[in-house]
Amino acid sequence: MQKDLESKFLVDFEKNQNIVHKVCRIYTTNQDAHNDLFQEVTIQLWKNYSKFRGEAKFSTWMYRVALNTAISLYRKSTRTIKTLDISDVSYKVQSLEYDDTEEQQLKSLYKAIQGLSDIEKALIFLYLENKPYKEIAEALGITQVNARVKMNRAKDKLRNILNP
Amino acid sequence: MDLESYKKTWENQPEETKSVSKIDIYKMAHSKSSSVVKWIFIIGLLELIFWSGLNLLVPDSYIKVYTDFNLVDFLNYYFILHYIVIALFLVLFYKNYASVSVVDNTKRLMNKILRVRKTVKYYVYYNLGGFVLVTIIVNSVMFSNPEILTETMNPQHLNVDMNAILTVTLVAQIIVLLVMLLLLWLFYKVTYGTLLKKLNKNYKELDSLDDLN
Repeated sequence: MQKDLESKFLVDFEKNQNIVHKVCRIYTTNQDAHNDLFQEVTIQLWKNYSKFRGEAKFSTWMYRVALNTAISLYRKSTRTIKTLDISDVSYKVQSLEYDDTEEQQLKSLYKAIQGLSDIEKALIFLYLENKPYKEIAEALGITQVNARVKMNRAKDKLRNILNP
Repeated sequence: MDLESYKKTWENQPEETKSVSKIDIYKMAHSKSSSVVKWIFIIGLLELIFWSGLNLLVPDSYIKVYTDFNLVDFLNYYFILHYIVIALFLVLFYKNYASVSVVDNTKRLMNKILRVRKTVKYYVYYNLGGFVLVTIIVNSVMFSNPEILTETMNPQHLNVDMNAILTVTLVAQIIVLLVMLLLLWLFYKVTYGTLLKKLNKNYKELDSLDDLN
């Protein structure tokens, strides 16, 4: 029984791991911290997997656990670099091979997101991932109205950082 | 450039090339967590043990003082009540800890983590309050019986200024209490301050949204 659960978890996780990577890129600023957070998210996912009954999609459930771990459970690693310039972000996209301008845009986007608060990061991340307001509000435990208000502010802040 | 075009860029970003294998996921899943909740649980448990253990450290010489003043019964009743309260706190602490679930929504999760911390905080308040109360009662009983007090503190009837000694005793108790409070405050600033700084900030940010309406 445990073995079945474990192998199912590994399959589900491996397939959806990109979600966790994206959350780690948003909430950390270097590779060590990225790995640290990734590990903590993995522990939390596995710890709660037996309670995951498949009412929601695995990926939806993963978003919630990953964001909650980043916002509430994870203690910022002492190695975290406080100030950030573009070269620090480059590790995030350096191994991605694709269009140059898109790469530049993605780098600026990741860099700009670092200027947001933890909560704003979560909102912007869920917006970029195309999540509806209902899901965003439920995930954060706030009303949809408040989610919209907060989202608009976060978007304004992000725009200002991107186009000063 | 508007956010919608950045969103397209985001959607087009390729999958992580350094993807983690099943074996590594397995290893990570079975490693030890270093989450804030776990640390709060450990520190909280140590505090519960520390404060309840502190009462067992009353030196034997005090027992004689308490006997002289007929305080033994009072203190025994107090300790029975005290240990019942400690047991209740332990149950509450564990229940609050067990209710923390990373699957909850973010706000409720943070609220529950902060509640675990609050249980310990009230426990410490209770202990400090109890300590101060007992000290005040014991002192007032002792100082309202100056003959017994003089007898207990100066059994050889040496020629000393008893008033001075009593004043020194009282002042010393107050100083010890103040130093203890200062050390405690520092301890909390360092441990919970560093552990919960981020969580408190994030919680306030979510909670303040309710004030908008």
